[in-house]
Order: sequence, then structure tokens, then C-alpha cells
Amino acid sequence: MAAVVGTGDGGVAHGLLLARLVDAMFEREPDALAAVRDEVVERMGGAALVDAVAVSANFHMMTRIADGTGTPIDEGTAAMSEQIRAEIGVDGYVSRHGS
Amino acid sequence: MTTSEPELDIRPEIDAAQRAVLARWASPGAWWTGAERLGIVAETRRALAASDVPPPWVAASTLARPAPAVASLPAAAVDVVWRLTHHPGTLTADWYASVIDRGLGPGPYTELVGLVAQVNCVDRFAEALGLAPLDLPEPVSGEPNRAVPDEVAVRRHWVPTAPVKGPNVLRALSAVPFENESRAMLSDAQYVPAAALLGDLESGRGALTRPQIELVAARTSVRNECFY
Repeated sequence: MAAVVGTGDGGVAHGLLLARLVDAMFEREPDALAAVRDEVVERMGGAALVDAVAVSANFHMMTRIADGTGTPIDEGTAAMSEQIRAEIGVDGYVSRHGS
Repeated sequence: MTTSEPELDIRPEIDAAQRAVLARWASPGAWWTGAERLGIVAETRRALAASDVPPPWVAASTLARPAPAVASLPAAAVDVVWRLTHHPGTLTADWYASVIDRGLGPGPYTELVGLVAQVNCVDRFAEALGLAPLDLPEPVSGEPNRAVPDEVAVRRHWVPTAPVKGPNVLRALSAVPFENESRAMLSDAQYVPAAALLGDLESGRGALTRPQIELVAARTSVRNECFY
């Protein structure tokens, strides 16, 4: 969970670095993006950089599809994810459609 | 694909999927012509490139800007492009209703959402790797087919959906199957193939482990303030 909120690796190898890459993609500041890109290549390799960017880009698409269509959270997921949602702090999002 | 970092090795399936989707952007859809669809793509690229992004409560179409890339693009469509590109987490059911009230039907709106989302995927991928955006093809002539799948109706989403199986987010574009296929092409190549989504939680993809993949996915959703 720590890696998802950007405070640690969360038990995932290079978790914090990957979270920083995601943040740099979101912020879109060229120098910061180049710096974290170089760090990912150095520590994880170029293929990992490409694959991580591909996954994040995919979720820039999926979040826009979900939010643009008013997609509600799936039945069965709501109760199961209650604690995780509280930890991440997403329950206050405007995008909490009909869930 | 030109790059400032030529040592980058992009998996062939990613490159193939993105180029195939680009060709589909130029084809007539269910509700928009090929030229209109490329106009939507161009407007999305203009929104992504903007240095002065309006806040979510200001409609981009009301600002003094050059005319949309395609003159016939309705102002409501321009506003959807900018709001969805820059402020996706602020969208509400009332906002959706207001867009529909401005004359953008649910079908054209859903196709528009699919297109804008795909452009955000393909172009943000290029930007993050220091690559130039892929060149757009010429529009394919022809009229939209205005096809509506059987049993499309408003169910749990704001937009109409077809009664297909799967998680709600994979049903979101089911009223415009062409866009849902494009979405699936990108996701299968860039994330995890649909068949392995829930059935195989162990295997990685390319150079990443599955936990690393899910971390990147979850962090991206959090930054976009996506509840789903």
C-alpha cells in the first residue's frame, strides 16, 4: 500500500521508484521526467522503463473511460476493498459514481 | 517512431497495437466520420500540449483560442476533450447530463470518450519516453455506420451499455464496439491480456513482475483521482 500512496516500496521491488515514475508522467514536467526515466533505466533497465510507461499510459486511458462513462465500482468489490479504499483515501473522490 | 533515446527497446506488440489503433482513429466510427475523429484526436493533442489549462469549471470552448482543428467539431465535444484530458476525476452525472443537453447524443459522446482516452494513452506513452507523437494517417472517407448493438440501454453507467460480461469498466464502451476493440488492443499489449486479467495473478509481463504492474496501475489511478 505504501508504494501506491508514494511513501515506500510496499514490498514491491523498486516500488517507490516506479511510483515516482508514475508521478512524473502525471506531472509532465520534462526535466523531472527525464531524471526519473534515467534512474529507472540505470536501476531496472530500459525494457522495464518502457513496460512501466506502457502500463501507466494504459491507465491514463482506463481512468478516463471509467470517469467519462460514470462507471460504478463492481458489485462484490465494494465491500472487499473497503479497508484499502480508506487507506488510500479515495472515498472522497468526486469520481465515486453510484457506488 | 523517432526517439531521443534510440536505445529504448519497445516491445513489438506495443508498437503494433498503437499503429493499428492510429489507423482506426482515421476510419469512420459509429457516430463520427474519419475526418471528425481525426479532428477529435487533433483537439486532444492540442489540449495535451497546452500550457494554459483552464480549470475544470471553465469550458475550453468559451476561451479565446484558435478554432478547433476541425471546424465542424461541436463546442460541446471540444469541452469534453479538454475536461476529460485534464480533469477526469471531476466529472459528475450532472456534467454528463449537461453535455447531452447541448446536443451531443449518448452514442457520439461515448465514442468521443473512447477516442480521447486512447489518445491520452498513446501520446502520454510517447511523451514519457521522450518520443515524438506518432504521425496521423489521412482520414478514410465514408459515413458513420450508426450501428447500435442489441439491447443497449442505460443500466449502471451514465452512458448506455450492452449486456456483455465482464467488469463494469470493460462494459463502459460496449455501446460502441469499435472503440471497445481499440481499447482492448491497447490494454492487451500495454497492460495484461484480458484472458489473464483475473485468471493469472502470478505471471509478469515483459520486464515487470505482476506486483510491479499492479503498483503502476494503482498509482496512476490514484493520481487521476479515479475511484473505480
